[in-house]
Amino acid sequence: MFEDAEANYDYVLAGPGQDAGVIDIGDGYCLAFRIESHNHPSAIEPYHGAATGIGGIIRDILCMGVRPIALLDPLRFGRLKDNPHSKWLFKYVVKGIADYGNCTGIPTIGGEVEFDDSFKSNCLVNVACIGLGTIEDFKHAPSRAYNPGDYVILMGGSTGRDGIHGVTFASRTLTEMSEADRPAVQIGDPFTKKMIIEATLEAVKTGYVRGLKDLGGGGLTCATSELTGDGNTGGNIELRKVFTREPGMNSYEIMLSESQERMAFIVKPEGLESVLDVFRKYEMGFAVIGRTNDSKVLKVFDGNSLVVNIPAKALSESPTFNRQEKRPSYLDELISQKTPVPTIGLDECVYRLIASENICSKEWVYRQYDHEVGVRSVVKCGEGDSGVLRIIGTDKFIAASVGVNSKHCFLDPYEGVKGALVEECGNVIANGAKPMAMVNCCNFGNPEIPESFWYFSKSVDGMNDFCRNLRIPIVGGNVSFYNEDEVKKIAIKATPMIMIVGLIKGEENIITLPFKNAGDDILLIGETQAELGGSEYHSVIHTLEGGKPPSVDEQKIKARWDFLFELYKRNIVKANHDINKGGILVTIAEMCFKKNLGADLDFTSCYDSNLRDDEFLFSESVGRFIIETNHKEYKTIGEIARILNVNIKKIGVISSNPEIKIKGLKSKVFSLKIDKMKRLYDSVISALMEI
Amino acid sequence: MKRLNMSIRIAVIMFPGANCDLDTIHVLNNVMNIQTDLVWHNYFKESEYDGVILPGGFAFGDYLRAGIIAAHSPALDQARMMLKDNKPVIGICNGFQVLTEANLLPGALLQNNSLKFICKWVNLRVENNKTACTNMMKRGEVIDIPIAHGEGRYFADNLKELEENNQIVFKYSTENGELTENANPNGSLENIAGVCNLEQNCIGLMPHPERASEAILSPKGTIHGQLFFKSIIEFIKRRLS
Repeated sequence: MFEDAEANYDYVLAGPGQDAGVIDIGDGYCLAFRIESHNHPSAIEPYHGAATGIGGIIRDILCMGVRPIALLDPLRFGRLKDNPHSKWLFKYVVKGIADYGNCTGIPTIGGEVEFDDSFKSNCLVNVACIGLGTIEDFKHAPSRAYNPGDYVILMGGSTGRDGIHGVTFASRTLTEMSEADRPAVQIGDPFTKKMIIEATLEAVKTGYVRGLKDLGGGGLTCATSELTGDGNTGGNIELRKVFTREPGMNSYEIMLSESQERMAFIVKPEGLESVLDVFRKYEMGFAVIGRTNDSKVLKVFDGNSLVVNIPAKALSESPTFNRQEKRPSYLDELISQKTPVPTIGLDECVYRLIASENICSKEWVYRQYDHEVGVRSVVKCGEGDSGVLRIIGTDKFIAASVGVNSKHCFLDPYEGVKGALVEECGNVIANGAKPMAMVNCCNFGNPEIPESFWYFSKSVDGMNDFCRNLRIPIVGGNVSFYNEDEVKKIAIKATPMIMIVGLIKGEENIITLPFKNAGDDILLIGETQAELGGSEYHSVIHTLEGGKPPSVDEQKIKARWDFLFELYKRNIVKANHDINKGGILVTIAEMCFKKNLGADLDFTSCYDSNLRDDEFLFSESVGRFIIETNHKEYKTIGEIARILNVNIKKIGVISSNPEIKIKGLKSKVFSLKIDKMKRLYDSVISALMEI
Repeated sequence: MKRLNMSIRIAVIMFPGANCDLDTIHVLNNVMNIQTDLVWHNYFKESEYDGVILPGGFAFGDYLRAGIIAAHSPALDQARMMLKDNKPVIGICNGFQVLTEANLLPGALLQNNSLKFICKWVNLRVENNKTACTNMMKRGEVIDIPIAHGEGRYFADNLKELEENNQIVFKYSTENGELTENANPNGSLENIAGVCNLEQNCIGLMPHPERASEAILSPKGTIHGQLFFKSIIEFIKRRLS
């Protein structure tokens, strides 16, 4: 259904269907990245569920023969206030990610968190990983066994009874009985994972590794059938060679165990000892469990008895279902909800918004993540719209951002997912990067319910249309269905998570978020419309879920991006921040915080008789930016905007007085104190989470 | 590239689970231009090197107690021999934990008082500028440097002795060098961030100088971490001359 990324983009080296998407970034280097979910295990056992989610995504990247260099984790929970269960999930999911990521030495450079009660029992833990390596290394290690006669080696941890049926558990709705499924959650071992990373990369360097596959969902069954099935070969596997953690495991248990920290290697016969020597150096467990052949049949032996005899492709090719889809009947009424007139002042609205769980600082989370290990993190957590890493030895930088607005998608999944693409591309563009490729993780309810399937179907349509039109290759995806509480009959809000990876050439082209100098112009790029459906303003101030959500005009978005890159070429953008939850004033406040600056705003130029002040200020219309430029450049900027037909407005100047003064609205002049906003912004999560 | 310090050779030990080893190698080789080898802990021979750095990370996973298993690696026997020759032995973060567990440095590193891992930039005040890694700094100088640890709360039951012997090398401080409670990120005794042995050739510290040696990585554009590595070179040069 998606465009063939490998065929249509010359820099895409691996697209959907591989363990990770891979792109060529020049200078002989490639990037591999992928995102997937670990929702169900984390909802039952947050610490190990989240930790093994990290473990799994690291293995997927490692399979491409490259070093994992960054993690990003978008999360969803029920609201924290007065909700001990959500706090428990949140606390231990973050701890699980931190303990695992920190120990393996892979920095967690980004992520996002949204709190909404549809995620109360079904929290979402999506995990993304980026890997960096040479194109040479990547070519050495396809996740296929193409050659008959190669050895199949299992390396890493031992095989135990944990995680049997982990995948089938993850593909059911959660019920009151799900607590009993706790043994289906695997236990992570980040130390062994770290050793697997080093041993695998060193083994790949020998040049004798011809295929690599991690053991994730489905364990040995999936790994062996995918290696041989996708490689169009066959193989014989001897089960009793597998080193087990406990005696008496039967062949079924060995084949289906999802014990963590295991990798399968396909190795050239002449290189067997060289590869095993690497494993010996790192004191890793290993066993040569079989050989490939050209039979196109996968045979598994338990001692002398043949326990599996199946065409290799039979398991690697998936069945297709025809699902019914239906637009939920409640949507029309929700979308037609009008924005009530606020009963409190606009200043009070902003203070409440900045203190909302979904807008406030997530420092409580990222302080627990080692986001600097690897000495690559140039724009660090909390400092920009995306995480920026340098590629040592080149003048290139990568920017990565992940997220989606679940509330927008709940009201309109097609426009919502497009909005997410605009937002995530906007985040990397705000830091100066050109969006290179997208991966996604689709989190939805039970696909057997037509309304739930409709959300999935529309989201996929939205991704597909946007990415084709704006020429962004989709290089990977993952689907998590059945995020539905069977007892309470609550499905999660549709969450088609989007990750964008972008590229920056030259350190001087990195743009950061904070305002730099008093006296500079503040410009608003893009139109603002009365799009408050699913906004934080509706939710925090009016306790409303409905309203008209933002929609996307692809041509206008494209023009704004082109406009920004024209300005970047001239080096005239001093700060850039994409407008997101909470609207314009929240965005400007965030830009003031770092250097304790203020802003004198005059919105006269934005006057629109059809827009109320609250609609204008708190709209979440997508694809808008606030930029800082020197006033001397305004003429040039205006000229470029006119040529590219982009709506820009000068809305004020930066001031050294830490206060935002607002005039030019229909209502009277008001002002906001930066120190009060900063105090609220910084304290919310820790106040909720610390005793 | 011109190698300024051709004759000097330093080892960075790769314990299983170390994860700042490559970062430290990068800074020494590419930024400081010092010939540095990554050496697997079982293979390390002290006679081949002028100094050794035990890098940050989670040696052997730190499952039992941070640094305790690595403290029994043969690499530590080699390190003891180096110290007898007055060659510098430096532990950064996990390396500091290893050195205290191996009894090469006094005290212990306990879990942070917040019970959480903390990754952030802090300020250090230089308390002793006579050691193998501070001789290029001024006493009382404040440096910018990041921490990233879960078990960094320094404790020692012989504080008075440490003070008398000048064994306290770094303390967490404010930007202006004040030793306040707020400037202490983890609850360390007397804000202590780094200590040395009596001979001042073995030093351990929790913060990461290798992350503070390039302007592009530093929030304020400072490169104070370089002073740390320059001091090590200076110490080795003085020893050799």
